[in-house]
Amino acid sequence: MRSLVAPVAPVAVVSPGAPRGEARRDTGEQTGGLLLEQPLHAADVPWQVVVWNDPVNLMSYVAWVFRRHFGLDAGTAEQRMMQVHTDGRAVLADGNREVMERHAEAMHEYGLWATVERVPR
Amino acid sequence: MRVSAASAEQAADGVLGTVRVEVEEARILASLADQLQALLADALETGTERDGALGRLLPDAYRHDPELADEWRQLSRRGLVDRKIGFARTLSTALAPIAAASAAADVALTEAEALDWVRGVGDLRLVIAERMGIIVDGDEGTFAEPGLRDVYDWLAWLQDSLVRLLEESDDARRAAEAR
Repeated sequence: MRSLVAPVAPVAVVSPGAPRGEARRDTGEQTGGLLLEQPLHAADVPWQVVVWNDPVNLMSYVAWVFRRHFGLDAGTAEQRMMQVHTDGRAVLADGNREVMERHAEAMHEYGLWATVERVPR
Repeated sequence: MRVSAASAEQAADGVLGTVRVEVEEARILASLADQLQALLADALETGTERDGALGRLLPDAYRHDPELADEWRQLSRRGLVDRKIGFARTLSTALAPIAAASAAADVALTEAEALDWVRGVGDLRLVIAERMGIIVDGDEGTFAEPGLRDVYDWLAWLQDSLVRLLEESDDARRAAEAR
């Protein structure tokens, strides 16, 4: 059901050098660019999990959830919780989409409002 | 209600702490936990659009991409609802006997049970907040009946006490691991 390769803009390094046919006779330096021409796999596209402020969950609870689930130290957890509280949102993790979805699901299990979004370029 | 850390003897049996529950408290909390289970079961039948409380319990994981949001819902909703029903059931199971009894009693909580309690109580607060019309920070709620407000604050106190219990046990574990 889930497509592993999302339709994302490929990040490709294309050599402006000679066409393929001629490349064989070229030096390695010129063909090097062609070898690097790879579409970025969806697993490499960075996503992030964002936790949003809500008027219900207690500050002590949110900080504890961040410590427990993300393994943050007490100070960092407190700082992220305050960021949620004052800025309205905080990024708690980034990485591939599937892992971010698991984090979001865990946050929902704790009753926190979390979403997954692309890391802004 | 009173939440206490486990004695050394209880801790050796895997007990994190105990909650002293009055009969009336058990009746209220067990009833709320039963209602929460029914509400969550509804989410599987009717979706979350018709009830704002379900929207809070089961928010979308994607804000601006309906297709991804829908895909994620299909993959995760049932499991999430089942687990949340499980949290509420842990509350009901522990409290039903006290609700039917004539005297207060202690409920001993293992770590797994305390985790269910802290999340089940949190879910109840989300639902009650929605019923009270609490929308922004510091909101007193538009439809706050005095009784509901008291329950809401009582559950906040209970959740905070459970967090402290769990935090102490996490700290103790971290200290043991560092040694």
